[in-house]
Amino acid sequence: MFYRVFERSNLRFERRLKIIIGILLFIFSIILVRAAWLQIVQGERYRNLSQTSRLRLIPQPSPRGLIVDTQGSIIGDNVASFSVGIIPENIREPEQILNKLKAVLPEINVELCKEKIKKTNNPFRPVIIQEKIDLSKVTYLMEREQEFPGVVIITEPIRNYPQEKLLGNVVGYVGEISEQELKNPALLRIEAGDLVGKTGLEKAYNQYLQGEKGGRQVEVDAYGRDLKIISERAPLPGDTISLTIDLTMQKIAQEEMGERNGVVLLANPHTGKILSMVSLPSFDPNLFAQRISREEWLEISQHPTSPLENKAIRGEYPPGSTFKIITLVAGLEGKVITPDTTFTCSGSYQVGNRIFKCWKEEGHGKINLKEAFIHSCNSYFYQLGLKVGVEEMAKYARAFGLGESTRIDLASEKVGLVPTAEWKRQNYKDSWYPGDTANLSIGQGYVLATPIQMLNIINAVANGGYLVRPYLVEEIFNLKNDTVFQSSPEKISKVPVSNATLTLLREAAFGVVEKGTGWRAKNNIVKVAGKTGTAHVPGQNPHNWFIGYAPADNPALSILVLVEHREEDISIAPEIAGKIFSRIFQKKIPEKI
Amino acid sequence: MKFVSSKKIDKYLLMPTLLLLAWGLFHFYIISIDGSYYYFQRQLIWVALGFFFLFLFCFIPVKLWSKLAYIIFLATVILLALVLIRGEVVFGARRWLEIGLVRLQPSEFAKIALIITLSRLLAKREQIKWNIACLSFVLTLPLFILIAAQPDLGTAFIIFSIWLILLFASGISLRRFVAILGIIAAFIPISYNLLQPYQKMRIMSFLNPYQDPLGAGWSSLQSKIALGSGMLFGKGIGEAAHTKLRYLPQPFTDFIFSSMGEQWGFIGVLMLITAYAIIVVRGILIALSKGNSFPGLLATGVTTLIAIQAFVNMGMASGIIPVIGIPLPFISYGGSSTILFLSGIGILLAISKEK
Repeated sequence: MFYRVFERSNLRFERRLKIIIGILLFIFSIILVRAAWLQIVQGERYRNLSQTSRLRLIPQPSPRGLIVDTQGSIIGDNVASFSVGIIPENIREPEQILNKLKAVLPEINVELCKEKIKKTNNPFRPVIIQEKIDLSKVTYLMEREQEFPGVVIITEPIRNYPQEKLLGNVVGYVGEISEQELKNPALLRIEAGDLVGKTGLEKAYNQYLQGEKGGRQVEVDAYGRDLKIISERAPLPGDTISLTIDLTMQKIAQEEMGERNGVVLLANPHTGKILSMVSLPSFDPNLFAQRISREEWLEISQHPTSPLENKAIRGEYPPGSTFKIITLVAGLEGKVITPDTTFTCSGSYQVGNRIFKCWKEEGHGKINLKEAFIHSCNSYFYQLGLKVGVEEMAKYARAFGLGESTRIDLASEKVGLVPTAEWKRQNYKDSWYPGDTANLSIGQGYVLATPIQMLNIINAVANGGYLVRPYLVEEIFNLKNDTVFQSSPEKISKVPVSNATLTLLREAAFGVVEKGTGWRAKNNIVKVAGKTGTAHVPGQNPHNWFIGYAPADNPALSILVLVEHREEDISIAPEIAGKIFSRIFQKKIPEKI
Repeated sequence: MKFVSSKKIDKYLLMPTLLLLAWGLFHFYIISIDGSYYYFQRQLIWVALGFFFLFLFCFIPVKLWSKLAYIIFLATVILLALVLIRGEVVFGARRWLEIGLVRLQPSEFAKIALIITLSRLLAKREQIKWNIACLSFVLTLPLFILIAAQPDLGTAFIIFSIWLILLFASGISLRRFVAILGIIAAFIPISYNLLQPYQKMRIMSFLNPYQDPLGAGWSSLQSKIALGSGMLFGKGIGEAAHTKLRYLPQPFTDFIFSSMGEQWGFIGVLMLITAYAIIVVRGILIALSKGNSFPGLLATGVTTLIAIQAFVNMGMASGIIPVIGIPLPFISYGGSSTILFLSGIGILLAISKEK
């Protein structure tokens, strides 16, 4: 009995064990199939994955090239920016350490940072707690390293502009590359997140300033800890750009403009070398190098005086009486008049049924060309312009470079407008009236010019009739001090103007300052020649121009002063030009112009 | 105690065990990073100690285990309770007990203690009635709870499996067995829902307290990459870079299988599984030769323990089972685990040579 029971229970045990061994061998075969799937079927894929995930490229930003003035003074360089980070792996109580940090850096948002620390996917890499912190706080934290375990200071180079507002809209600013710019093939080797020049010289010379990003190919372990450097390329700093700008002159020019808005340009009229370029109001490009707040950005970018714009190349204004240079040349070269031709000014001139006024209500009386230029008699130039005609005036305007790019080495230059009858027909569906011609002859109406174009005109007058390309960069040299770019003055064209005409023009221009409308430019340091202009803007104060050069008999320096919507009742532009010239020539004009 | 000639030692059981141990040690040696042979050296000591127990238990009459069963059980419960009271917290869980110089993981020994106890309880019964089934459950429950509370749900799961398998092997009627499975199935969602949300979170994270520092799925993915990248023939000795560069988390314990798969390829995996299969088949044959008896159930328990742990560990590493931290028998680093499994082999050898 007992034996049989025992036998039965043993048989059952045997059956059960057979089931168990069956199950166990079955589950082992599952593993085998799974391993075959991973290692044989998908093996290639996982082999690749295991190789690629071990190497990481750690980019090393290249310091951007320096921007220096003609004397070597720094306009743009790089400084270290400090951020505070926490290495999550090295801290136990994020809240405690964050609260301690908050005592030093009150801007810290503890809750937000806690969240960041919690969410990090690599606890060995620092989580940034606060960016751009003061050096004093950096020192404070570094001195108390023991009190802040797990806290690290991260240093990175950022752009620095020691001249601040002085050259803001000329130098421009840098910013993270936009998606659009990324598609630009000229910006090769640049990746998302990199900084590129957005405006001004930073943009125009980006390829030189950029340098070459370095990088380390590092074999890393799973925690992101560097184990071994596989290959390394040191970052190549950007080239140094030496400008034609002379900071001394730039400062003088800006100081003399005071609070006014407008443009001052100083140049070597023979070479086109720009010695100063002031566009006011300006902005401090350091704002962009540090983190700019949305409010600050809106404030700057939408301000009605557009401080971000370099008005020297982007402002389009009616040239006013400075245009009379072109009317004069067109008249003489077209043999419409001789220097002795006279017209009568009664204070106004009637064209059709419209009355065009001269600025002098009582009139200039009977007046010749030179006197009319010196005293900027509108009546004379209305009559001259009507004789010359719109097409001839437009031809000479173009010959002097209006309506076309000056090819200055800055991006986004505007070209102004030289109107013709055809142009008016196309754009206004209206015919060209004699009144339009009269307006054009004194630089009013449709005609628009940028300050840099007007500077080109006076340069041509000063240098014997050559249109020269203005430029801002003298030389670019690399880290080894090898010159990689050397500018050379470029004469774009010879304006069709005879020496006789030029001589008369220069005599007249000297007369403008000696006894005419530009008398406020007269000073006892240097003889100045030039032409004033007052461009009327409907409903607003007029713009006030002065384009000129000094010394009058042997031009070394040309100037353009444009005061936007002048506040004064007087012609302030020549006064500013005179003061700038006298201050510069007082110091003896630098030989290097 | 008379000397036992080597002829009586079950070679088919011992050979694959020795192979796995030697292979494991060799593998530790070659994946040791930058000449730091910490794991290799320590494991060498554990293996030596394990062999001591293997030979010791080889000579201990199997009857003795049966006699000591309830004392062993009680001692294990006390040890587990001690762990909870004054155990050392490692990675957020209390699993270790420090006794003098020795650091023990009593939950490992609880497995064998439970096998001995249940074998004593369930052996040689014509029928397993509800009262015995319930008693076996009552014996299992304190171990389960004490281990789950550490928390070490992986080991708790193994404890639970041991109970079910021994119940099944000892001949409980299929009707009762299915009923028990039904009750368990009904209890899983109920007991889970009894937990507070934070406890659930805790359990979910304590399921896997430290293998996932880089976010969900990391260890599982890296493990699959390591294993898969081994391809058919492996990367060759010393070339298991995914392991060496610490991409593979826990390469000496939980994910040793992936590391070996990376190093030795599918051929290696095949060999590994074959070795386990031989041990398991041999163990079950030993159990069969003993019939429904204490040694028979003991052999069944020890063998299935080895099989289940091997399966769960390899399943974890190949991404078909959630990562619950179960060591690979004879290979994974760890003193308690190594000693446990070598002791188990010792017991199996003792059973096999007792005719």
